[in-house]
Amino acid sequence: MRRIETLVLLSTFTTGILAAESSRPRGVSPEFAKFYKDPNVFTCISNPSITLTPSQINDEYCDCPDGSDEPGTAACTYLSALSPPQPISGTPNTTLALPGYYCKNKGHIPSYVPHSYVNDGVCDYELCCDGSDEWAGVGGTKCEDRCKEIGREWKRLDDLRQKAARTAAKRRMELVGEAQALRAGVEIKIGRLETEIRELERKAADLKIRYEEVERRERGRVVKSAGGKGSKVTVLAGLARARVEELREALVGVVGKRDALRKRVKELEGILATFKEEYNPNFNDEGVKRAVKSWEDYAANKKEEDVSAEDRDLEEISKPDSESEGINWAEWETGDEESDVDALYKFEEYLPAPVRTWVHQKLTDLRILLIENGILADNANSGSESKAVTDARNAYQTVNDDVGIKQTSLGDLKNDLEKEYGPDDIFRALKGTCVSKDSGEYEYELCWMDQTKQKSKKGGGHTGMGNFVRFDKTTVDEEIGADGKGLGSGERMVLMYENGQHCWNGPNRQTTVVLACAEKDEIWKVVEQEKCMYRMDVGTPAACDKEKKSGGGEKKDEL
Amino acid sequence: MRSFTTLSSKWTALLIIAALCYLFTPAVSVKHENFKTCDQSGFCKRNRQYADKATALGSQWEAPYRITPESLSWKNGQLQGTILKTINKQGETVRLPITISFLESGSARVTIDEEKRQKGEIELRHDSKARKERYNEAQSWAIVGGLDVSKSATEERDASRSIVKYGPEGKFQAVVTFAPFGIDFKRDDITQIKFNDRGLANLDHWRPKVDKPEPEKKEGEDAPAETPVAETGEDESTWWDETFGGNTDSKAKGPESVAIDITFPGYEHVFGIPEHAGSLPLKETRQSSGNHQDPYRLYNADVFEYIMDSPMTLYGSIPFMQAHKKDSTVGVFWLNAAEMWIDVIKEKEAHNPLSLGIGSKTDTKTHWFSESGLIDVFVFLGPTAKEVTKAYGELTGYTQLPQEFSIAYHQCRWNYNTDEDVKDVDRKMSKHQIPYDVIWLDIEYTDDKQYFTWDPLQFPNPTGMLEQLDQSERKLVAIIDPHIKNKDGYHIVEELKKKDLAVHNKDGNIYEGWCWPGSSHWVDCFNPAAIKWWISLFKYDAFKGSASNLFIWNDMNEPSVFNGPETTMPKDNLHHGNWEHRDVHNINGMTFHNATYQAMLERKKGEIRRPFVLTRSFYAGSQRLGAMWTGDNQASWDHLAAGFPMILNNGIAGFPFAGADVGGFFGNPEKDLLTRWYQAGAFYPFFRGHAHIDTRRREPYLIGEPYTPIITQALRLRYALLPAWYTAFHEASVDGTPIIRPHYFVYPGDEAGFDLDDQFFVGSTGLLAKPVVTEKAESVDIYLPDDEIYYDYFDYEKYTGQGKVTVPAPLEKIPLLMQGGHIIPRKDRPRRSSGLMKWDPYTLVIVLGKSGSATGELYVDDGETFDYQQGAYIHRTFEFSNGVLESKDIGTKGKLTDKYLKTMKSVGVEKLIIIGAPKEWAEKTSVKAGREEARLEYYAEEGKKAAWAVVKAPKVAIGENWKIEF
Repeated sequence: MRRIETLVLLSTFTTGILAAESSRPRGVSPEFAKFYKDPNVFTCISNPSITLTPSQINDEYCDCPDGSDEPGTAACTYLSALSPPQPISGTPNTTLALPGYYCKNKGHIPSYVPHSYVNDGVCDYELCCDGSDEWAGVGGTKCEDRCKEIGREWKRLDDLRQKAARTAAKRRMELVGEAQALRAGVEIKIGRLETEIRELERKAADLKIRYEEVERRERGRVVKSAGGKGSKVTVLAGLARARVEELREALVGVVGKRDALRKRVKELEGILATFKEEYNPNFNDEGVKRAVKSWEDYAANKKEEDVSAEDRDLEEISKPDSESEGINWAEWETGDEESDVDALYKFEEYLPAPVRTWVHQKLTDLRILLIENGILADNANSGSESKAVTDARNAYQTVNDDVGIKQTSLGDLKNDLEKEYGPDDIFRALKGTCVSKDSGEYEYELCWMDQTKQKSKKGGGHTGMGNFVRFDKTTVDEEIGADGKGLGSGERMVLMYENGQHCWNGPNRQTTVVLACAEKDEIWKVVEQEKCMYRMDVGTPAACDKEKKSGGGEKKDEL
Repeated sequence: MRSFTTLSSKWTALLIIAALCYLFTPAVSVKHENFKTCDQSGFCKRNRQYADKATALGSQWEAPYRITPESLSWKNGQLQGTILKTINKQGETVRLPITISFLESGSARVTIDEEKRQKGEIELRHDSKARKERYNEAQSWAIVGGLDVSKSATEERDASRSIVKYGPEGKFQAVVTFAPFGIDFKRDDITQIKFNDRGLANLDHWRPKVDKPEPEKKEGEDAPAETPVAETGEDESTWWDETFGGNTDSKAKGPESVAIDITFPGYEHVFGIPEHAGSLPLKETRQSSGNHQDPYRLYNADVFEYIMDSPMTLYGSIPFMQAHKKDSTVGVFWLNAAEMWIDVIKEKEAHNPLSLGIGSKTDTKTHWFSESGLIDVFVFLGPTAKEVTKAYGELTGYTQLPQEFSIAYHQCRWNYNTDEDVKDVDRKMSKHQIPYDVIWLDIEYTDDKQYFTWDPLQFPNPTGMLEQLDQSERKLVAIIDPHIKNKDGYHIVEELKKKDLAVHNKDGNIYEGWCWPGSSHWVDCFNPAAIKWWISLFKYDAFKGSASNLFIWNDMNEPSVFNGPETTMPKDNLHHGNWEHRDVHNINGMTFHNATYQAMLERKKGEIRRPFVLTRSFYAGSQRLGAMWTGDNQASWDHLAAGFPMILNNGIAGFPFAGADVGGFFGNPEKDLLTRWYQAGAFYPFFRGHAHIDTRRREPYLIGEPYTPIITQALRLRYALLPAWYTAFHEASVDGTPIIRPHYFVYPGDEAGFDLDDQFFVGSTGLLAKPVVTEKAESVDIYLPDDEIYYDYFDYEKYTGQGKVTVPAPLEKIPLLMQGGHIIPRKDRPRRSSGLMKWDPYTLVIVLGKSGSATGELYVDDGETFDYQQGAYIHRTFEFSNGVLESKDIGTKGKLTDKYLKTMKSVGVEKLIIIGAPKEWAEKTSVKAGREEARLEYYAEEGKKAAWAVVKAPKVAIGENWKIEF
């Protein structure tokens, strides 16, 4: 990409300066030609105090601290912050005056090649199609001019790139349109829902009032309970006692078994803990690694709960019943008491009739009061409810539930509307669609705004590589292939997918999806940058610039 | 279903192992548990007990070995005879033939065998098919020359001893005492080395196993008859079989260890016997605190997460030790390939209790024992370390002159995942202007761990990848290990089985073990037929997807066997010729390395190139075959610090092409650690960044500001100095002189420098480096061994005076000094790879010393072929004195010299930098370079910074004679 950008950059200079070309020393671009014009003297470009004779230009000895006297050789390449500091290279922060060795590349686009590539015996045709970087022919190196064919091929591909860029831009516009339509759809839905909810809420309020009335009325009507006969209680107590004994025995047995198992678990955990400490990860035995990993997960999730209280309870329960502990069965098997309700009604019976009615009314009110305040148990729940109450409640609840559902939908829709979908809301149009790529051992899948996955061809299920969490940006510096695929250089949009499946001996998987403009959605490359931290380079029309057509060099230069 | 069963049984095994470990280890380091301590190694324990017994008895100890004088004969520089070992109180003896050879080179060799085994008059247990002899073929793998016997040596004998005069001008002497057997080696009449001085010589002679009756017999016979063997009281428990970590060694030949003590009287320092993670000077192993508890062990093993400052064994072994005292170095080389241990103790000479300091002398006493094989020891009497190393190299060979790219920077990782990944790293390194020469592929590039194949999904286009690398003369190194996946349909394993070229188990069947690919077999490179077959696999048309810029990495060749005892092969496995693995273990790695080296010589008919093969396991002689690295280190400061002592030790032991993984293999280095590691790595003879598969990516361009530029500077420093490094490699290739050199080696008379192992000299350049290996350092103290002027490499600041000087070392700075008196050749133009620097002009840095003069050397050749053997090289000295710089040819003309010089005609010198330039030059503006004038610019002294001058474009060719007059 750098090359292409350089090319674009260069092309702007070339017009008009062509005339000076012939007189320029080797490796000097038109941009810098003016510094080399004087036939009598050369002044180091960023160190004007140093003057040289023109014969010192390109004499394979570096005189200028900014390297400007050796535009056509590699003599000044040691002047670099990346080289070991030496007094001879002056201050370490010297910046070189020239961006590189200038290849004229007649028939194609001029370009700079790093000076360290000059006369090293390699024809760097990618940068220097005219082969002029190997002008000295060291060790018999010969680099013929290939600009014609390379230029032709470049032009062919560039045309394709242009075309692709146009298609991409068009596709982007379509996506924006789709996204807008989708957004509008959501907005309409919201409007509709809001109306509906208002309507339903009103209805629900009415029904609620009705239900409460019916219920209040019905609650006061106390139904006399069937009343348990003493003899039945006695029988029941006998049965219960036998049953309790049986259960108690079973419990003691289970507790015993549990303790034995607990001991074994502890023993196994001990073995596994040692295993984890002592196994040799260098053997890289996947089976062992998986086992260690599962053990680690297991150990991490294991809650060390205090079971002593529970154990005490169990112990208490396990003790046989007696007068002082547990249930005093004797009491139940003989006694026959009245319930409080019975007593109450009996009391009523002794009153005169008018008083009785009044008292009855008061008692009912009191009872309702007590129930409503949670003091007295609500008899109604235990017994059968009147149909009127049920109907009223059902009517109310149905409507109320409906309101709830609709409100949730509304909330979702509103959230969705506020959620970021990228520039122009464009990923609204892509959400839910997926692209996949076959790459070596794995098939990778990217689902927009959803999740990333990999699947090994050697078997096994999908491995989640992360779930979409946010949009981001990153600066990249990558190649763009001849087919136009690749991130190029500069700031790129990123979709972050995090919290994927946990990695053995590593973090939860995550994927940084870096986007660049392309004709269609396509995963170009997946790399595991660090353990279980993936980067997907992805082309999509969604990442194209709003106005400009695309990244490729759109202005061609016909030299 | 089958796989499930396997898995579950494997699991059971794992759990059992885990449980066992849990039971028996008291929380200390896990890693030790896989490997034997001396106590767990039968012969080690026995020999230590033997030593304890002898020591306890003191002067009463009677060593049971004596030479029978009547057996002795002297012929052709060899003294031959028989040692009798008394084996019981009845005076029964066994016969041990001894040969002492005195070599033309001045080295001596002592070989002791056992007659019964030699003649095959023994019986093996368990119907073993193993050979009956003691292993006597170590020589054929380790020794390549220097065995010519001395014509001038002379012998004199009396009733008690024999005296042989030998060596240069007859200055050396061997005094062989008959009873008890012992040898004193003298130089200039002073004893330097003593054999069996302490009477610890011990050779387990063959004996039949006498099965003792069961303690409880059915018939109720209570007193079982005592076995009437002489060895009553000896601990037999480790004679007949040994079990460790669930593996039982059958030991069909019974006990067969060999041992002897070697004393260096008056020597306080011993070095060598790599590979161990510890200091260059060896520590005592038997005394009180602060020392090692176990002897130094040599038993090549895949040691996981090895620990620091330990005598425990590592991946390779070179049983070569140097002893050093003021102005004298001597050495011994113990030629034996079995498991071995070396005890080291130091004792102040007792007989002079009044003399303190200077007067009192320390003796270093060593005790060597191997599990099997011969006693076969070479003795070198120096007197300099350089001579000892040279003599050792005459025997085992010198460092291969490497492909030039291989001494540049290697970018490695387990793993670059795809061919696209490799290409991407390649592009990014170029883009960030970071030089590198080689990118590496670890095991994951293969299809299912089957070597010689590529993963079809991850590496669909290896050729395209290699082509892209080749465009900037970069290379690829791919790993190929000795374990061959045992899988139907894999053509390599099918051939291996069909041709019967694998290692066998004790029953004679093909041995099966586990390694990366799971079930595997091991190619037996002791077998000439296996080597031949191995060679065939590397031809371009056999190894599809390979090309001339693909080179090889041999890992796991100890061999590493995941389910084997001590992570290696059972000792009773059988190799070619039915030698037990026990006998050949330490050489095994070298045989595999050798096979690969042979294969890489000529992959296409007529295209003969210097191979580059990296090995993890090694033995004496491996230096002929390629480079080694220190194995699986960790991303920690202590491991960074451990690198130099290990590399220095390897260097003086004849294998200087060594390096440690930059960044640390296991774990994620902090950025400052990684940066410091690159600065250190720029001084490793083998310079490779490497990382474990579970670590984060750490290619230099990923580290970020300010680290990436600092790392790039370190890399470019290495590249600028490549001419000096290559010259140092050349020197190592002709006389074995280490590439980075410890102080004692360069300044043998300076006692204050003997312990130094964190600073060193680079070749003969006078570059004195002490890379920072501690966290947050802002400066380091460098020890100057003399009163020469030293200049900071980067700003020419002057340091003088013997002793310690403090040199600033903020993160961006490597403490690196230039010693006055040297001329350092450089190439300053940064390129993408070393191959692209071929035609660049040189910069000569003339570092003027006190005397105002300086000398230096340069060796250049094509860096890849063997044409240099026919004179296709440039070898020159540069001398500056009395205001004249002269370039002189010191090469020997050969058939291809002229042709080569013609191709190099255009390569010249672009500048001279004269550091410490005399004041008188202040007015000078030009010098006479041949017939022409060249400009000179003078920069006066500024504070502590030395004056310097630069001569611009002297226009002299590197391959020609010339003079420049100042």
